[in-house]
Amino acid sequence: MVPATLAKSLVGICGRDGVILDEERLLVYESDALTAYRHRPGAVVLPRSTEQVQGAVRAVAEHGLPIVPRGAGTGLSGGAVALDGAVVIGTARMNRILNIDAPNRRAVLQPGVINAELSEAARVHGLYYAPDPSSQTTCTIGGNVAENSGGPHCLKYGVTSRYVTGLAVVLADGSLVKLGGQGRESPGYDLVGLFVGSEGCFGIATEIEVGLLPVPEGVRTLLGIFDRIDDAGQAVSDIVAAGLLPAALEIIDGPTIRAVEDSVFAAGYPTDAEAALVIEFDGMEAGLDHDVERAAVLCERAGAREVRSARDEDERMALWKGRKKAFGAMGRIAPDLLVQDATVPRTTLPSILRGISDIGQRYDLVVANVFHAGDGNLHPNILFDRRDEHELERVERASKEIMQLCVDSGGTITGEHGVGLDKKHHMELIYGPDELDAMWRVRRVFDPGGVMNPGKVLPEDTIPSEDTVLPVGTGGD
Amino acid sequence: MIDAAVDRAGPVLAVLPESQVLVAETARDWAGGRPGEAGWMPSDADAPAVVFPASVEEVAALIRVANETGARLLPAGLGSWLGAGGWTRAGEVIVSCMRLNAVQHYEPADLTLTADAGLGLTEVEDLLLPNGQWLAVDAPGAGAGTLGGMVACGVSGALQGRYGAIRDNVLGVDVVTGAGRVLRIGGRVVKNVAGYDLVRLFTGSRGSLGIITSVSVRLFPRPEADVTLCYVGGAGEIVALARNVCTSPLPIAAVELEGGRESGETVCRVRLLGSGGEVEEVRSRLVDAAGLKPRQILRADESAALHGDRAAWEEGSALVVRLAALPDRLADTFDRGLALAGALGGEVAADALGGVVRVKASPDAARDEDVAGELSRAREVVEAVGGTMTLSQARGEVAARAGWTGRRGSGTALGDRIKKLFDPASILAARCP
Ligand SMILES: Cc1cc2nc3c(=O)[nH]c(=O)nc-3n(C[C@H](O)[C@H](O)[C@H](O)COP(=O)(O)OP(=O)(O)OC[C@H]3O[C@@H](n4cnc5c(N)ncnc54)[C@H](O)[C@@H]3O)c2cc1C
Ligand SMILES: Cc1cc2nc3c(=O)[nH]c(=O)nc-3n(C[C@H](O)[C@H](O)[C@H](O)COP(=O)(O)OP(=O)(O)OC[C@H]3O[C@@H](n4cnc5c(N)ncnc54)[C@H](O)[C@@H]3O)c2cc1C
Repeated sequence: MVPATLAKSLVGICGRDGVILDEERLLVYESDALTAYRHRPGAVVLPRSTEQVQGAVRAVAEHGLPIVPRGAGTGLSGGAVALDGAVVIGTARMNRILNIDAPNRRAVLQPGVINAELSEAARVHGLYYAPDPSSQTTCTIGGNVAENSGGPHCLKYGVTSRYVTGLAVVLADGSLVKLGGQGRESPGYDLVGLFVGSEGCFGIATEIEVGLLPVPEGVRTLLGIFDRIDDAGQAVSDIVAAGLLPAALEIIDGPTIRAVEDSVFAAGYPTDAEAALVIEFDGMEAGLDHDVERAAVLCERAGAREVRSARDEDERMALWKGRKKAFGAMGRIAPDLLVQDATVPRTTLPSILRGISDIGQRYDLVVANVFHAGDGNLHPNILFDRRDEHELERVERASKEIMQLCVDSGGTITGEHGVGLDKKHHMELIYGPDELDAMWRVRRVFDPGGVMNPGKVLPEDTIPSEDTVLPVGTGGD
Repeated sequence: MIDAAVDRAGPVLAVLPESQVLVAETARDWAGGRPGEAGWMPSDADAPAVVFPASVEEVAALIRVANETGARLLPAGLGSWLGAGGWTRAGEVIVSCMRLNAVQHYEPADLTLTADAGLGLTEVEDLLLPNGQWLAVDAPGAGAGTLGGMVACGVSGALQGRYGAIRDNVLGVDVVTGAGRVLRIGGRVVKNVAGYDLVRLFTGSRGSLGIITSVSVRLFPRPEADVTLCYVGGAGEIVALARNVCTSPLPIAAVELEGGRESGETVCRVRLLGSGGEVEEVRSRLVDAAGLKPRQILRADESAALHGDRAAWEEGSALVVRLAALPDRLADTFDRGLALAGALGGEVAADALGGVVRVKASPDAARDEDVAGELSRAREVVEAVGGTMTLSQARGEVAARAGWTGRRGSGTALGDRIKKLFDPASILAARCP
């Protein structure tokens, strides 16, 4: 509960219907899609405009409370969780597309716009927004910007940061800064790029300019069925090495296939297979069949039992179904699901997958992999039941071992879901004290008082003390 | 003034063995006397020395000593584009990374490369070619420089719409900051969101935050087909044609313009890259659709060679200006460029997809004041429609009058704090323009 004076000023700024104080309604905001972390916020504010965000930030800051920006709450690292009674500033009512500028292939929008709705709105101009997280029908562009989200088609088209060209950001003191904008060229440091992926710690994005792409003329989808997951991994490497550039290369492993086929989402994948590889090409009709044939041959050479190809849109959707519904299906066969996220160099995929499977066996856990294979971005998901305390402990240990395995191969602890609350202690697996120190200091450039989303991304025990600034000489301008 | 700076530089020069230090005339030759590049060095710059560290430890030692003595360092690669934005302070010691030139990690099937910052881009190209891969970056003039210089300049060419800008293709960097910290940021995998994206900050920082010692980049398979359609005509019709191509839904790799030449003709080059079938299809549709017939169609090596040649377009020019506005303003921006080129006696090139127009010229030094006036007026017009005008290269006197960049946006204060954070004693290049 926030102090009554604060509640009153927030209502004054955002209206009665724009402030949630009711304990029960606050429950909705106690976690994001990673439900392991639950903390009830002190209040939730739902502003409609940049000015209201500024007003709300100032009011909260005056009371010395922390602030947590929030989009749709689909995050998978606990980023939007409000620690210590923080006030959540949600963007749900800032959901207008302000301008689709078709001649310049860009759009300006409020942060609460849903990812898929932007593409939908752009389609009449023959354009779309390329980054397509699997959660795209619910997640917001503001959340995508904060997490630098990826998606299946980022293999060819790149992640969110490639498309964000301008931002209006409300900083912790309520001031508004405009970064970049009006296209890609802006002199000076790339502060737009620095803000993307800052996980709500630098400020609240209240206006976002993004680039759009023309909708490709044609699409072809293939599904390779493999008896060994290594072979599927090999096919991925071979396709890339052959110089083909598919729009997407996604692997669904045996346990995931069986989960999907046992569920209402059954997609017709053979349940005795150990991997299914979804391959998609897009572009001009003229070049596609040639690419598809080459990819099919490479799959067969790598040991595919069968390669299916879609002849029409319905069949295409069917081939994708197993991939798209994987999370939903897994959610149905176990009470809890730990969605993991790491990236490894593509060529290490076969050995990493074997390593993950060994770890799963050693801890007696079911690990189901579904991932963006072309990017080497793994999602080894652990199925478990949190009521079983022993199992929970094994899950945590296995999870940490999997991270270490990925890092040792030259990889990283998160490819798209972010660090948030969940992985801040894994940051030390990849960064030393100097890098963490630099990140803390950059964060303070934006938020000197530590008001924005505290407790996320960086481990507290690495906070720099002021006297560690390097002694400097006599120079200067 | 210069003597004081040289005095301060003394201890810095003592950090490295003599064989890794050039002074006086030899230093001047290294920086300014390269074939075809004479005249690039701003006349008021006067480097007492060039040093060539051969390890990260040596880079760190140079920075440590500079912090102790107040000497100024100018990070560099091969010194091919040093004037830009930084080198106007007398007495700087140039720190060339060219001896840091090892390939650290190249696994073709990963489509990534990690190498020391001083590795030349021609060497990078030679390394990748046998594997049918390339660094899909066509930064103006970058072929003459180093990997680190390319990242530090961060300027992208006409292929950026298709392959992303440089910043989209840099996966990680190792740097020694102006404060002397050795940081390894990012990584060598293509998707990485662990922590804040400091890689973006160093990309395009132009030697103002730290010395980049190693770079990881994303590679692309070389496209099967490379075709360029060349159109020639009057500026009006050619710019209109370029815009038509840009707004068509066809996959176009780049649309470049050149104008202001003696012949009075404007040239448009439409480049297509991709699989053989796709490129042929796009070519035939373009030829059918555009009212104008291409004067020439170049294929494969011929097409690649043409773009290779164009990369050094600015070579030898003392003044290079970059005007940018939204792509649908191309006609205006191009006109503005032509007018500027006319006034300065130069030529114009443009990236139509990006809305970027570049002007090159070598006006007489006696006209500095006049030139700066022209530039300021051009900038006013471009800024009035939300665009920007920056100087990519200029004599110190011109830059001092006209300013490297124009309007300072509301993010400037943040930028200033970032500069202070990484280079508190201002021993490196001036704040990123
Ligand atoms: C089924 C499922 C599939 C998913 N698939 C993918 C996938 O393929 N790729 C992928 O990358 N992710 C995926 N995700 C994760 C998630 O959807 C993304 O991280 C998404 O970008 C989060 O958006 P959101 O609006 O839900 O943000 P939230 O969860 O509400 O917030 C995420 C973070 O962003 C910050 N934030 C939100 N809005 C703003 C703002 N306006 N300004 C500043 N900070 C802000 C919050 O503080 C928080 O730190 C998936 C999630 C689920 C549940
Ligand atoms: C003919 C020609 C035309 C060009 N045209 C343009 C243009 O129009 N616009 C433009 O912006 N650029 C232009 N460039 C620059 C080009 O894009 C590359 O950035 C440049 O060639 C890199 O050269 P270099 O490695 O020798 O770096 P240098 O010329 O030595 O340095 C270039 C800049 O990068 C910094 N730098 C270099 N190495 C490092 C490092 N390791 N760490 C930190 N900072 C470093 C320097 O401080 C300096 O600011 C041109 C270059 C040439 C040769």
